[in-house]
Parts: sequence; C-alpha cells; structure tokens
Amino acid sequence: MTSFKTRYRRAAADPNLRRGLLDFQRSWRVSRDEQMARLERRTEASFGDLRREFAQTKDDTLERIDDYIAEFRAHAEAAGATVVEVETAQDALNYITDICRERGIELVVKSKSMVSEEIELNHHLEAQGIRAIETDLGEWLLQLASERPSHLVMPAIHQRRERVAELLGDELERKFDPDDIPAMVASARGGLRDHFLGAEAGLTGANALIAETGSIMLVTNEGNARLATSLPGVHFVTAGIEKLVPTWTDAQRQLQLLPRSATAQQLSTYTTCITGAQPGKEMHIILLDNGRRTMAADSQIAAALRCIRCGACANVCPPYQVVGGHAFGHIYTGAIGLVNTPFHHGAEHAAGPQSLCVSCGACADVCPVEIPLPQQILELRSRHAHAPLWERLALRVWARRRWFRATMRLAALASPLLRRMPLPLRHSWRKPPSIPWSNARRRIAARHPQQAIAATEASGRNVSLFLQCLTDALLPNAGDGAARLLEAAGARIDLPPNQHCCGLPSFDAGDRDTARRMARQTIVTLEEHPGRDIVTPAASCQIAMRRHWPQLFADDLPWRGRAEAVARRVHDLAEYLETTARLPDGALSGPTDCDSDYVVHRFCQGSNLAGWDDRVERLVARLTGAEPQPLDEAATCCGFGGLTSVTAPEVGRGILERKLDCVAQSEAGTLVTNNPGCVLHLRAGAEAQRMPHRTLHYAEYLATRLP
Amino acid sequence: MLPNLAANFAAALQAAQGETCHFDSWTSLADFACELDPQPVARRGIPLSGIEAPRSVEAIADRPVGVTQAALAVAETGSLLLVEPDPLDRYVSLLTRHLIVAVREQEIVATLEEAFGWLARQPRAAAYATFVTGPSRTADIERSLTIGVQGPSRLTAAILTGESS
Repeated sequence: MTSFKTRYRRAAADPNLRRGLLDFQRSWRVSRDEQMARLERRTEASFGDLRREFAQTKDDTLERIDDYIAEFRAHAEAAGATVVEVETAQDALNYITDICRERGIELVVKSKSMVSEEIELNHHLEAQGIRAIETDLGEWLLQLASERPSHLVMPAIHQRRERVAELLGDELERKFDPDDIPAMVASARGGLRDHFLGAEAGLTGANALIAETGSIMLVTNEGNARLATSLPGVHFVTAGIEKLVPTWTDAQRQLQLLPRSATAQQLSTYTTCITGAQPGKEMHIILLDNGRRTMAADSQIAAALRCIRCGACANVCPPYQVVGGHAFGHIYTGAIGLVNTPFHHGAEHAAGPQSLCVSCGACADVCPVEIPLPQQILELRSRHAHAPLWERLALRVWARRRWFRATMRLAALASPLLRRMPLPLRHSWRKPPSIPWSNARRRIAARHPQQAIAATEASGRNVSLFLQCLTDALLPNAGDGAARLLEAAGARIDLPPNQHCCGLPSFDAGDRDTARRMARQTIVTLEEHPGRDIVTPAASCQIAMRRHWPQLFADDLPWRGRAEAVARRVHDLAEYLETTARLPDGALSGPTDCDSDYVVHRFCQGSNLAGWDDRVERLVARLTGAEPQPLDEAATCCGFGGLTSVTAPEVGRGILERKLDCVAQSEAGTLVTNNPGCVLHLRAGAEAQRMPHRTLHYAEYLATRLP
Repeated sequence: MLPNLAANFAAALQAAQGETCHFDSWTSLADFACELDPQPVARRGIPLSGIEAPRSVEAIADRPVGVTQAALAVAETGSLLLVEPDPLDRYVSLLTRHLIVAVREQEIVATLEEAFGWLARQPRAAAYATFVTGPSRTADIERSLTIGVQGPSRLTAAILTGESS
C-alpha cells in the first residue's frame, strides 16, 4: 500500500473526488434524515432511543461474547456448518487456503466482505495460486484497478465513470461509453456469470451472526451474495466476532438501523438469512479476533465494537468529503477506521489518517449505535500521536501564559507586514489575522463600564469572565463585547487575572500531559471565587471544560472533582444571555453599523456534541428583532479543527470552501458565529477570497448595538 | 385491515421500484406470465398449469420471465419473503429478467418484526430465506442508481385475492 503522504497528496489534488463526495454527502443526508424520521414516526421512539437500545444489546452481547459464540457454534454445527475461531489474520488465511487445497478449489467467488479486506485475502489467495473474483460490482471494479475500497458501503465511490469504462473495456475487451452506465452495469452481469458457474467456493461476510439459531444474515442490493452462496459447493463466511447478536429480534432491530444509515434505504433489496450448510454442501464460518478482544478489554474503545459497518460516519465527515477514504482511513475508512485500524493493522497505519480528524463530532451525531467516535479518536491520538517538532514547540509556547503573550505582542508588531506577505502556496487560501497591540483584557480594563440597560437576574451579581486565549489576543472586540453585554444586563464583571487557556489545543493534539497542566492552571485561576458564575464567549472551551476535563482527570479523583466543580460554573455566553443575564426582547434593536441581514454558522461541536441547535440564532433574533437568513449546512464544521487546518491545510481549505459557498449563496452581509476559532478561520478565508461579507462573533455583533 | 395492508405493501414496494398486480386465481396469474413471455419458468410446487419448472441453472439463467411464490409479504417495507432451501428455486428468483412473486393477500403482515418473528419460529424456512424488496440494483458507478445487476431488472408482486390457503 502506498504511504499515507502519497495517498493524501493524490487525494488533495483531485477536485473531482471532493465534488463527487460533496454531492453524495448532501443527498445522503437528506434521504437518511427522511428515512429516520419515518422510522421515528412508525416506532414512536426517537433515533436516540432506538440507537441507545440497540447499542445496549451490542454491549451486553460483547460482555458475554464467549457464551454467545458457543451458542452460535452449537446451533450452526448442528445444522451442518463448521465454525472456527481464529486469532489472527494469518490464522484466517491459513484456514481458508488449507480448505481450498484439500478440496482442490481453484476459483473463489466473493461477495463483499470487509473482513476479507481486513485480512487481505485476495492477495494471499493469489499468492497460493487460487483465483478470487469479487462479484459486487464496486468491489470488482476495484479489483480490476488493483485498488482498495474507499468507503465501507460504496467501495468504488471515488472512481469516475471514465475510469470505469476503461477498466471494464480492458477486462471485457470491448468499448464502453462512459455515459452509458446501464450498459456498463449490464456487462458486469455477463462478465461475472462464468465465474459464478465455474467457482468451487463462494465467500461472504455476515452482517449479523444470530446466536439462537446459528444463522447468518447478509444484506446486499445486487444479489451477488445469493449467487455466491448458491452455485459453488463450499461457502466460506468471514466475520468479526463482534457481529454476534443473541436473537432474531436483535437482528431485526439491527436491520431497522443498518440500511437507513448506510444507503438511506428502508431495506436493502436482498436480506438473506442462512442457517447451516445446505444439503450436499459445506459451510465454513470463520470468526476472527484480530485485535477485537483487545478492543473489548479497553474501556475507552470497547464501544467501537458495536459498529455495524454502515459507513454513516464517513457520510457526514467533512475531512472525508475533501480527501476520500484512501487518505481518511487505512483499510477501514471513515471515523470508525481511525479507531479500529490501530487494533487490526497497527498504530503506524492509523497515525496519518488520525491527523485529519477535525473533531467536529458529526459522526457521533449520526452513528446508529452511538459510538463516541470523536472521543475515541482523541484518545487514540493521545496514545499514538507523533506531532512534528514545530507543532510541539508551538504548543509549548502556547502552554505558558507569559510566553504566549510575549509571542502575541511580537506577532502584533509583525502583523501588518505578515498580512501583506504572500503565504506559502499550501496556505495561500487564507489571510493571516490582524493582531491588535492591545488585548481584550487591557481594553476592558481601560474603558468605562457599560451602563445597565435593563434589570435582569444578573443585576448586581458578580460574574467572572473567562475570555479564552484566542479571544483575548486576536478578537478583543468579541471579548469586550461579551463583557459589555453582561454589564448591560447589570452584572459586575471581573477578569480572573491569571486566566489563559483551558488546554484544548494540547488535548486536540494528543498531548494529554500538557493539556492537564494547562487545565490545572485554569482550574486554580477560576477557583478564586467559589460559587461565582463564570461566563465565556468561547463555545469550544466551555465544551472542553465540561467534556474533556473529566476525561483528562479520569485517574486523578481530587483533580477530577475540582475540574467538575469549576466546569459546572462555566456558562456559554449565549446560554447565559438567554437565562440569567436575559435582556428583554428587542433590547438591542437600535441602530448599528452592522448589516441586519445576517447568517449564523453554528459551532459544530455545539450542535453535534452538546445539542445546542439554534441557540445563537434565537438569541440574536430575540435581542435584535431581526431573523437570520437561512444558511445551508449551518452546523457543518468550518474547517478550523484546531491544528488540523495548519497540519493538513488542504483539508482546512476544502471544508472552508464548502462553508463559504453556502455563505455566498445566502448573500448575507454578516456571518455571525459563536466560537473564536471559527471566527478566525472563516474570516481568514473570506478575506483571502475578498468576499464582501463581514465575519463576527455574536458578542461583537450584538455589542455594536448597545447604546 | 387487509385492503389497507395490501395498499401499504404496494406503496412501499413501489418506492423500491417494484410493482404490484392483483389476481383472483393462479390461472389468471399464469395467463399474465404467459402474455409477457410465451415460455416463463417457475419454481417447483406452485400450481401453474403449462409453466415448466426447469431442473438446471442453465435452463433458468436469463429467461425473460420467472414465477415464484413468497411465504409472506411485509407491508411496512414492501418486501417478499422467499423461502428457498433448494438452489433451483433461487435461480428462478435471481437469474430471470422479470420476476413475478405470488403472495396470498392474507399472508401480508404489517411489519418486519412480525416477519422476523415468523421466521424465528420456522427453523426449516430459515435454512435459506430472503426478503426481496424490489428489483436488483447497484449505485456503484458514480452513485447512479441502476436497476438489474445480478438479479432481475423487473419485479412484480402478484397478490392473490379470493383464494384461501
């Protein structure tokens, strides 16, 4: 397999790939949401409830996996099948080749099986002089091209029709019109028929293994799995041990979630259940471990074994849209591939794809078995990350408040020059931020307090403002705006003097030790006034404090307690302005130099992980009296993704362009958002492209309307 | 209740690019098949006079019309449950171009849960059972939905009314 770097570069240089995947992601999302809404109506249960219930079944099954394997084996063997458990990929390969040799099998027809990809079966069989033919059209095209799947469900989604015409033309020795897709599909029927008729063995995966009867369940659309299990005399099944479900009822519940999440179908065309060997034939069911038991024993990772291989995590993944599955994954692609690759194929194959995740949380939102993928990806990043030297140095500077401030001062001096200099080509799509000499803290300290404009629950209350490192240094108007909005609601603001950074940048980069050090520093700083509300305009930090801090201090109970006590007091500014510091409706409808036609980009983690929905839209609309314009894909990541936009600028750029296209289509004069990182990233791209709209944090947008 | 199930079934199958017809007897179903093709093939054991049930894959593959029978149908999903322990039956349902699947109206169940419940209680049926929901399809070339790959390109559910089991 080519190196990650080569795969990444090749993918990043292919505009057709991202265009095709963008169309796909957009249409999938609409159809999938429709299907899920129908399911919710019919079952009178929410998607959240349905997936939680099935995830619980999977967890319970995995806890007693040996019992269920034994039950499955007993029933399958009673029905004439042979069930073998194998520990490694090599064991699986050996078993299959041994049977092939003993039976004189020279041709194996294969239905799509990710486990066979995982163990690289085709390659191995060929080396043994046994032909393996893929019969799923997409897999066959990949085989003809000597490529790997780039998606769990649509393996050849990266191939263009011209390439397909070429591949089929070479194989079938006739010419194909790339625009006549039906003719190309029809040729596969004829092209594969002889293989089906001549094969001595067929191989399939299994979408589920049903313990109570020893049955396997196969889900396909083409019908090739039925042929592969009907014509040849030997049927191999390759499946991971995590595919076990106790009962038929459980298999049916899996079916409620699988096709809807995979291809946005209510049900795939063929759902086949097979119990045991057919009369006069052999069935060999190979249950593979290959790292799965290690995953099961790993409390942070075990939930990944719930996976039903639907591919939904790739279908919503912004970096996947930009580079596809050959870069965003190894053999398993998408978010789940970033999690299971270290266990099936080794950490060295996971590090590159790992570095492309922007932690937006979109995968967690649609996963039909509620795998905490973003959390697991960060966990594995902390175990295996090898950040480049410059990144480690930058984070080391960041981690120290004084160094950080001194660097920002220097940067402020250089800023006018930097903004005029051309950036290296890979970064030319953004313009460096304008860095002010005076940070937010200094600005707030130097001005008169904002007069209260209404009585609220916050009137006379002391409120600590946690500005956040980026807001303080780079977005002083947003920091000052946050302070003035709170003062307008009657609060008395204090700025905890040693405040700096919650540790999120190091946490995202996988450096947990530094993240812990920074978190402790912030906790100590914010403990100064116990009981006092702490408010931050930085959505990402509030989420980091609530979600990541407990993880950081999982093994350190005293610090965990302190972290949780502080995090409980930390409020997102938008939430606080809707509750405690709630200014009256229309309080900020006064004149302003900002356009009142605005759109809102929702910070992705707020929507995907914290369930904030349209919090900012509601706040701004209520206070200003002006409704936002609609923005497509409002909660899709902007591409900032912490350091990802720096280390993988093509990913940062691709995601940003998707977002800015939506903004341009809205024709709004102002783009408002709720996280400092998003403001900086969106502004950098809009400035470089000379787009006409302004990009503002909502605190700044609202504060310009204060009297 | 019954007409409702049949209508729901037809709508769900239509969404999966399949079509539904009603017949009051096996004879009228046989006439329909023979009108489409003078020599349709059928799976064994269904009462279709004059329609052969071939005994080899070669005699079945790529024939224009095949007729089979479903054990039950699922209104929710538009699926037909084919119980096919004999591979020859599978060739009829998989290798013919236009597949007609007979199902008695009273054997339409409301949900997939019910169908799975039935299957779980029928160990013999579960030897090889398939829920078929529409004609064979692929979207593997640029996601363009194309009907009829390995399996039939046309699927007709033939609901038998007025006949008791």
